[in-house]
Amino acid sequence: MALLQMAKRMVRSASIFLLLANSVSADDTPFRPEAGTFPSLDKAHTYRGELTFVDHPNRRGSLRIQGNGRFRFTGPSPFAMLPYGMVRYHGAPADLRDVPLGTVMYAHAFLPPDPKISSVPVLPFDNRLKKLGNAGVGTAPAENHVLLLEDEVSHCLRLGLIWKLQEVEVKDNAGFIIARRESKTESKNGQMETLTFDAATRFWRGREKLTAQDLIAEKIWPTHGKKALNDQIVQLGIVWKPTPSRVFMQFHISDIWLNDIALQRATQNQIETHKTFIKSRWMPGWVDAVKYGQFGRATVTVTLFGGMEASLYADFKKGQRAMLASSENTLKHWASGTAGTAQMASKGILTTITKAKGNIPFGSSGIQISLETDLVTEGFRPGRIVRVHSSRWPILEVPRDEYLHDAQTTHEDRFPTPAIFPKY
Amino acid sequence: MTRFIFPHWLILLTLGVGFFVAQAIAEDEIFRPQAGQFPPLEKSHAFRGELTFVDSPNRRGSLRIQGEGTYFRNAPHPFAMLPYGMIRYNGAPAELRDVPIGTVLHARGFLPPDPKLSSVPVLPINNRNKTAGYSGKGIAPAENHLILLEDEPSYCQRTGKIWKLQDMEIQNLTGKITARRETKIAGKLGEVESLTFDASTRIWRGREKLEVADLIADGIWPANGKKALNDQVVLLGITWKPTPSNIFTRFHISDIWLDDTAMQRATRNQTETHKAFIRSRWMPGWINAVNYGKFGTATITATLFGGMDESLYADFQKNTSAMMNAVESNLKHTHGAYSPAHMASKGPILDVVKTKGEIPFGSSGIQIQFKTDLIIEGIRPGRNIRVRPGHWPNVNIPREEYLGGNTPEERFPSPAIFPKY
Repeated sequence: MALLQMAKRMVRSASIFLLLANSVSADDTPFRPEAGTFPSLDKAHTYRGELTFVDHPNRRGSLRIQGNGRFRFTGPSPFAMLPYGMVRYHGAPADLRDVPLGTVMYAHAFLPPDPKISSVPVLPFDNRLKKLGNAGVGTAPAENHVLLLEDEVSHCLRLGLIWKLQEVEVKDNAGFIIARRESKTESKNGQMETLTFDAATRFWRGREKLTAQDLIAEKIWPTHGKKALNDQIVQLGIVWKPTPSRVFMQFHISDIWLNDIALQRATQNQIETHKTFIKSRWMPGWVDAVKYGQFGRATVTVTLFGGMEASLYADFKKGQRAMLASSENTLKHWASGTAGTAQMASKGILTTITKAKGNIPFGSSGIQISLETDLVTEGFRPGRIVRVHSSRWPILEVPRDEYLHDAQTTHEDRFPTPAIFPKY
Repeated sequence: MTRFIFPHWLILLTLGVGFFVAQAIAEDEIFRPQAGQFPPLEKSHAFRGELTFVDSPNRRGSLRIQGEGTYFRNAPHPFAMLPYGMIRYNGAPAELRDVPIGTVLHARGFLPPDPKLSSVPVLPINNRNKTAGYSGKGIAPAENHLILLEDEPSYCQRTGKIWKLQDMEIQNLTGKITARRETKIAGKLGEVESLTFDASTRIWRGREKLEVADLIADGIWPANGKKALNDQVVLLGITWKPTPSNIFTRFHISDIWLDDTAMQRATRNQTETHKAFIRSRWMPGWINAVNYGKFGTATITATLFGGMDESLYADFQKNTSAMMNAVESNLKHTHGAYSPAHMASKGPILDVVKTKGEIPFGSSGIQIQFKTDLIIEGIRPGRNIRVRPGHWPNVNIPREEYLGGNTPEERFPSPAIFPKY
């Protein structure tokens, strides 16, 4: 009997050893994105959290990530956008500056491609499995280089999800909504979630921006008490606010889009904001190949990054003039004294525009352009980041925090260190 | 008759010495806010700029300040809110987190009250007069501790101003509007300013949020070309975007409020946002006096800071319960993860007194007298506190909004996070 017990213990120990050996082995070969290759979205680690800090010129910030513990104990976890990483807000492409602090965002992220130049803290591979006090497990993953960062609406639109409202409980223009998020087409019921709303929650109906008070005045909602909402289909904007009554994890509704027109208008507004932004900051991409000619001539082939509005890509036409400027992983431009980016850029003619067929990897637009220039500048090398300007776009100067000054720039400017992030 | 003829060099020398003496005297008379006193708004330095960076938990950020020169070259300039400094957005009290990056804000700033503890760079006193290359003068004043930071509609409402639209020019949903900002009641014409708008500009009419495309579809604006707008009275939200054609400073219209209802609704929305915020983070103020009793009891007199919605002050009633917690200059709660309510001094409000006469900017004019049987460290005259009436929700605040380790860097954040350009 004693021998049997001992044998069982040995088997158990061996199993644990094998499990640990396996995880170590897995950790020995962690996946990192590589320059010149778009990583597969399926290999990304996913999480969601509240946007608490933004350093938009360096395309980084912090999220309070939802783990399995108490949300309020969770220290903000720094993240950096990959150069081809996409931010989406209200179902449209966005820049970090467009997303209000407090917005709950979904992230798909990877380990730092090159830890030496990471602009956010480099953490142990298994950090996502570590329990961090009352915050619990999963609040500070090492996968902090983000391929996709999207708000609730964008997440739902991308995955074909909707929110079905079950019940509302109102008191003093504030209260709770019970709702399920589920597939638009499949009939499987989603999990019930209780969310708070208050007098500042915005309700969008067609062109109208309403408040809970308006819905009460129109007798759509009761002044006090509960009302069944019978699977009313909406989209929600979600934030987080401190919760009373020892509730450790409950999200708050910032916006409710009551119909498709209302959401389409929000999307259109964000699309226009981002179109103007990209036209002034230029389309990002990376260099696939450089074919050098004589006396500084070169043909540079570039893949444009994905996720922008289609009309921006349509502005690149064969035979038209364009400008190409080297950029950093932060997508910052280079400029020089009085000379702006346009003055410093390589100019030339777009000789080919090709659109890849089949499965286009996330992060890529699938569009490759070739530009023939008579003066190639430093920074155009395969795998390096560039920004491209269509001749149909206005020539504008970007503000000081968004360019590197070639005579004054330090390593810290090119490769921002994680030092600005507080340690909790 | 003897004539005294002064050589030119002597006159110049005398004037030069006089100038330096005057400047030295002026610098001797530099004004800094002092603990326990609200500084007069008139003594502040006024400037405006685009919000480019926010460190919301530490109540600091950066503005790209409008100077005399080329705007896009202006590096973001760090600022810190004074403990009693007010932020206003859409005509209502706000936190820095509520203000979108890119918003052009009007600031009233002072020199750092205590340069040693400044959370933003301490600059030479005359820095506002220095010329910084193409940026020109005025883009980096030493007066970077703010008593007031407000967006365009808040500024206009506070100073009784309106925008009168003159004419517009449009092509492909974008264009320019010329407008004058002037006093609502007086007849003096304001200076004509040219501002851009685009397809993402939000236009508010009553309950409606419209776009340029809607105004064109409704036949109010032309699809292309010019239109006179005949002094149409509106309020504007202003941002900055890079400008073409070698225009060095031109602002951009983010929002147009076409009528009072639309503006009032925006104000109400921000008011509700801020009310919920203050109820969860507590009302800030400072200590006027502490009268110590025996065995840890004390009676504390505190002045509540100003600028909040009236209903929040009305929640402070005589003979009701309250909690009081020590906070830092950035209004962060102290005493760690146990939560403010757990650590706070508790007791009844003995009295609520409303000051008569002129109330200084930064103050609510409301003093409360609070009695506790267990006074905690940090509640001392001139120090900052936060107070919670007993019926506000008892919630726990997130990690970055309280001090966990009480390290000097946590209590007094250094300016190291701000990039140098």
